[in-house]
Amino acid sequence: MTPVDTSPPGDERWGDEQRARERELLSVLSTTAVGSSEFSAARQELITMHLPLVHHIARRYRDRGENYDDLVQVGTIGLISAIDRFEIERGLEFSTFATPTIIGEIKRHFRDRTTTIRLPRRLQELRGPIYTATEDLTGELHRSPTVREIADRVGISSEDVLEVLEAQAAYSAKSLDDEGDDDRGGVASTLGFEDPGMEEIEYRESLRPLLEKLPERERQIIMMRFFKNMSQSEIAEQVGISQMHVSRLLARALGELREGLTAD
Amino acid sequence: MSGAVTVSFPAQTQYVSLARTMAAAMAVRADLPIDQLEDLRLAVDEAAAQLVLDAVSGTELRCVFTESLGTLRIEVRGTTMSGTVPATNTFGWTVLTALVDDVTATIEAGEVCVTLHVKRHEPVSA
Repeated sequence: MTPVDTSPPGDERWGDEQRARERELLSVLSTTAVGSSEFSAARQELITMHLPLVHHIARRYRDRGENYDDLVQVGTIGLISAIDRFEIERGLEFSTFATPTIIGEIKRHFRDRTTTIRLPRRLQELRGPIYTATEDLTGELHRSPTVREIADRVGISSEDVLEVLEAQAAYSAKSLDDEGDDDRGGVASTLGFEDPGMEEIEYRESLRPLLEKLPERERQIIMMRFFKNMSQSEIAEQVGISQMHVSRLLARALGELREGLTAD
Repeated sequence: MSGAVTVSFPAQTQYVSLARTMAAAMAVRADLPIDQLEDLRLAVDEAAAQLVLDAVSGTELRCVFTESLGTLRIEVRGTTMSGTVPATNTFGWTVLTALVDDVTATIEAGEVCVTLHVKRHEPVSA
């Protein structure tokens, strides 16, 4: 593969030779079978030759707190989808066609990330050790550990632990769904909507449909925490997930319920 | 230790996270286990959110944290349009009572004050 040229394409205009090569490759894509070695080689060369364009666009967004490499990565996804959707017959300039797709992909990345707290790399790397220490200590102490206990175990400051927990709490949607949605039916069967705790609640008629809209596990956890008065650690044990995970699910579910209840 | 820490901010949704962050920091000082810490974060969030929804525009919310080893008392105060204590038969109130050991609502000097009490469930280890 040719080395990546990260200089802005505007600075050095493409020569006729490169333009001709671009046309040639694009026509290979439109005439060869998807997945054939010729097709793949042409596609790869097109990606490589347009990486400077991705870098050029990513650079415009680099001061907004996102990792530059991540921006290049999502921008490249935009580039690839532009290559795959380009129709040479329409006579458009490829870069004109690809630019909005690349920008769109980068913007979507920002949209997806706006609710998460960005952790500096140093803290990012502490997530694993903190998680392990929390699980270990919970087992040893038969209760949830304190921040100080976790900090002592990992050998870092309480502030660092707190910062990671906080970012973790804000992690919301993304990471949660990755953690597997294995339904453990046993719990569901013990929790009905006719829980006595709910009878006195005003608006329970509007609460009910909102609860029903929640993913199964979040609904279970809400019921266990607020109507069965189980602690986060007890819920974690019963559902078979970590207490940190319970805490994140609770925060997210409560947010959704509140939004729903105040919407009208 | 004694003495209170007070945080004030405009009674608007985007500032509620300040109260949450402060609550977590105070919970660390009180040496609460993290499940109680996370509960407290949610409780403060809920109490502040309730007051923000009903707040007179242009007013501030004030959170007063008083901490000693193993216990934490948090007052969330604000000037609301209704000027009455929050109803206790709501989902929001149910959430509050489940998250902390004790919660009360009072009217003091024209302000609504929701007070949360948390006590460490387990003995403090050395």
